[in-house]
Amino acid sequence: MRIAILNGEPDPSSAFQMYLHDFARRLASAGHAVSTLDLRKLNLKGCSGCWGCWVKTPGECVKRDDSATICRSAINSDLLLLASPLTMGFTTALLKRAADQMIPLVHPYFVVDGGEIHHRARYAKYPKLGLLLGAGGDSDAEDREITTEMWRRMARNLKSQLVFAAVSDRTAQEVADEFARVA
Amino acid sequence: MNSLVLLNGSPRGERSNSMKMLSRVAEGWQRGGGPEPEVLHLAHRAGFDRAVQAFAEADTLLLGMPLYTDSMPALVKSYIEALQPRTAAADGANPALGFLVQSGFPEASHSRPLERYLQKLAGRLGSRYVGTIVRGGGESLQMVPDRANQKLWARLRTLGEQLYREGSFGAEELRAVAGVERMPALTLALARLAVHLPIVNFYWNGVLKKNGAWQRRFAAPYAGSGQT
Repeated sequence: MRIAILNGEPDPSSAFQMYLHDFARRLASAGHAVSTLDLRKLNLKGCSGCWGCWVKTPGECVKRDDSATICRSAINSDLLLLASPLTMGFTTALLKRAADQMIPLVHPYFVVDGGEIHHRARYAKYPKLGLLLGAGGDSDAEDREITTEMWRRMARNLKSQLVFAAVSDRTAQEVADEFARVA
Repeated sequence: MNSLVLLNGSPRGERSNSMKMLSRVAEGWQRGGGPEPEVLHLAHRAGFDRAVQAFAEADTLLLGMPLYTDSMPALVKSYIEALQPRTAAADGANPALGFLVQSGFPEASHSRPLERYLQKLAGRLGSRYVGTIVRGGGESLQMVPDRANQKLWARLRTLGEQLYREGSFGAEELRAVAGVERMPALTLALARLAVHLPIVNFYWNGVLKKNGAWQRRFAAPYAGSGQT
C-alpha cells in the first residue's frame, strides 16, 4: 500500500531519526510504496484558526506554505504514519503544527459520529492512521497511553481510525512485523 | 501577595474565545480580592518569550487554549517544550498551574484526554495542580448576543473567585461549567435528523455565501491525481 510518513523529529541526528529511517526501509522492503515528509524541512506557518480553509477557499489553507504538500500526500495515501519522539509527554510541536493544518481535509458541516458531534467528510476516502512514538526521554507508559488516546480521537475527526500504534523500544524489524499483522 | 499570570494560548490572540473566557476568570479572581493579573498572548513573539520567563516568577499560572485536532494547538505545545528546563526546578519553585480548554464541539468529552495530559504536565513540572476548566460550544460565543452568555460568564467568575480564595477550582463548579459531557441518546437521535436541516449549518452557509465560496463548499482539491 501507499504509506506516507509525517516525520515530526526536529533533530536530524537523533536516535529516533535513525530508527525511523530503518523502519521506513523495512516497510519498503515489504513491498509498500513509502514516502517520508521530514516536517523540519518544510515551511509550515501553523494554523491560526481563521477558518479560511472552510469558508473562503474551501479545502485549501489560505496561507501560502507547504501545508498543501502534507494534505495532498495524506489524502493520496492508504496509510498515514505519524512519527515523533515524545517531548514533555507528548508528540512534538512540529508534528502538531502539521496536524493543525490538516483541517482543510474535512468539512465544517456537522454530523453525528460514534455518539458525538463531529465534522462532515470532504473526501470519499481517507487514509488509515498509524502512530510511531520514540522511546526515551522522560516519558513513561502513561504518557504514551495519553498521547495515543489524543491521536485516536484525531483519527476519528479525520474520518479515519488509528489502526497501528507502536513505540521504538523494540527492534525496527519487530515493529515492522507487527505493522504487517495489523495495518 | 499571590500573583496570577493569565496565558492565552489561542493562535487567534486577543480576539479569541479562550481570551474572552480567561477574562471572566480574572474578573472573579479580582472580585475575590486578588491583585490584577498579568495577561500574555502566546501568539505574539514578545508575549511568548515573556510567558517563559513569567513561569519562573508567578505564584499561580492559568493557561487557556482552544482544542485543536483533539489536543493543544501547536503554539501551546511549543510553549510547553520551552518549559522543559523547569522540570529540574527545586520542589515548590514552579507556580501552581491551572488550565482552560474550550472547544467548538458541544460536548465536553472531546477535551477530556487533553485535560488528563495537562494534569500530568503539572506533576511533571512539580507544580500544584489547581484544575482544568473544560467547556464545549466555544465558537458559539461569537455567534450569539453577549447576554446569552451571562450564565457562563457568572460561572467563570465564580471559578476565578474560588481560585483566589481557596487556591483551586471547585469540583462542582467545574462540572457545571463543562455543560453536557456526552449527548443523551434522544438528543443524538434528534441531532442525527437535525444535521440535515439548513438551520444547523446556517452559520457556515452564511459566511460561505458572503465570501462567494458557497458553490465551491464541497471542493476536494487534493483527490485523485492531486492536481488542484
